Amino acid sequence: MQYVVTFLLAIISSMLIDNVVLSRFYGICPFLGVSDKPKSALGMGLAVIFVIVLSTIICWPLFELLKLAEITFLDTVVYILVIASLVQLVGLFIKKYSPSLYKSLGIYLPLITTNCAVLGVVQGNSDMGLDFMSSLANGIGTSVGFLIVIFIFSCIRTRLQGPQTPKAFKGIPIALITAAIMALAFIGLSGMVN
Amino acid sequence: MSKEGYLLIAIIVIIALIAIFVISFVLYKKTPVPKGCEDIKISDEKCKGCSNTTCELNKNMEGEHHD
Repeated sequence: MQYVVTFLLAIISSMLIDNVVLSRFYGICPFLGVSDKPKSALGMGLAVIFVIVLSTIICWPLFELLKLAEITFLDTVVYILVIASLVQLVGLFIKKYSPSLYKSLGIYLPLITTNCAVLGVVQGNSDMGLDFMSSLANGIGTSVGFLIVIFIFSCIRTRLQGPQTPKAFKGIPIALITAAIMALAFIGLSGMVN
Repeated sequence: MSKEGYLLIAIIVIIALIAIFVISFVLYKKTPVPKGCEDIKISDEKCKGCSNTTCELNKNMEGEHHD
């Protein structure tokens, strides 16, 4: 029971307190680029969850192998290969067997390859020396945190498209201000989990 | 198993990963876009700052490939 509680607390910690976008500033490119509509933000977030969790599961044993062979300096190269291959394979599968899913998610897949949040999570797991379950909790929490933040941000941006926003601030300027205020808000969650 | 054994396995795994990446890249490029998805459009403005060369929707990068 204690283990389950620790696992859930690790997820909540990486999801809200140490949020990948607002605290660690990873994944800013898709965060700003795909958040103009809630539907596209939701699609992007779901695709990121899938890729991050799978990458974590695959990369953790690979890093253990690199540690045994004493070539841990190759970890970044291996992670990039795994993430890029995974995204290509997922895209291939969706393209061939699910046209409806390709129509909704397919355009985001190349964005995920270059999303530094994916590499950041996997690299962070190995840098912190986490065990498999902790790495998985970090991966799940980070990706769900990304989804939550990008979806909320897209909802706010939709509301800001109205006439109340000054012309000079429309688009990216007001989006950056909004992101800064959201980051300040999330600072208030620090200390929630000891 | 000795360190050299693990090193050999690691090298084989890395070579296999490179092969998987190359094969998946080629297969992805060769697989046709599903029917009904040919008209997916991304605005050129959004793609302007992106340097992803594997994206087939990025018209800006296609132009650079032909140069």
